[in-house]
Amino acid sequence: MKNYQRSNEPVAWSLFGAGGMVLALVTPALVIVTALILPFLPNADPGHSYRVILSFAQNWFGKLILLAVISLHFYHTAHRLYHGLHDLHIHGPDKVMKSFFYGGATLLSLLTAYWLFTL
Amino acid sequence: MNRNPYLQKQPANWWVKNPYYRFYMLREGTAIPLFLYSLLLLYGVYALTQGESVFNQWVAFLRSPGMIIFQLITFLAAVFHAYTWFELVPKILVLRIGNHRVPDFLIKVSHWGACIFCTVIILVSAIYFL
Repeated sequence: MKNYQRSNEPVAWSLFGAGGMVLALVTPALVIVTALILPFLPNADPGHSYRVILSFAQNWFGKLILLAVISLHFYHTAHRLYHGLHDLHIHGPDKVMKSFFYGGATLLSLLTAYWLFTL
Repeated sequence: MNRNPYLQKQPANWWVKNPYYRFYMLREGTAIPLFLYSLLLLYGVYALTQGESVFNQWVAFLRSPGMIIFQLITFLAAVFHAYTWFELVPKILVLRIGNHRVPDFLIKVSHWGACIFCTVIILVSAIYFL
């Protein structure tokens, strides 16, 4: 009997889908915060925004939100870039390409988690 | 007798001439600025671990003209992504109440509502707390 290998596409697609939702709901506002509010908001105490963001990232709930938002950004965009190269007829061995994009997103997410949990 | 099927060779620029395919590639292309922006956020998390002066360097970097232009592009990409994503959702999410399918426009409108809700919460709390 032939052994069928289960596809890992559902896992990749779930992360892509969750990332797409986060990007659609949260990212437009997030960009306004990092482009306008954080750098240009006049504040009497220059260390104030640093302390606010630090205490948000030190709180376990804040950590989880930051980790979810950033890592789902990585998984969503990695999925689209992986399929985008295929659309542009740029091909490589499938295992290498998949490891590079999904593995890369995983490594960047682990790095995010590591830095967040050392805070 | 086996015959080899005829496979038409697709040119790599297949998407350039058709407006529908160009729209598709633009939608997929939003991933490029959005990926780079995720790296900018990752740099911010790193800066946070290094203390106040490194964090302030990150904020100064966000303020630089190149990053302002980049973030403007990212903002447009994010809004375009949101529009195409909410167009896509009713095709994937089929909800039924009894025998009736929830109409597409209702699913789209409720997602836009959620988007506006999140945007207002984030902007108001950023202005208030930062």
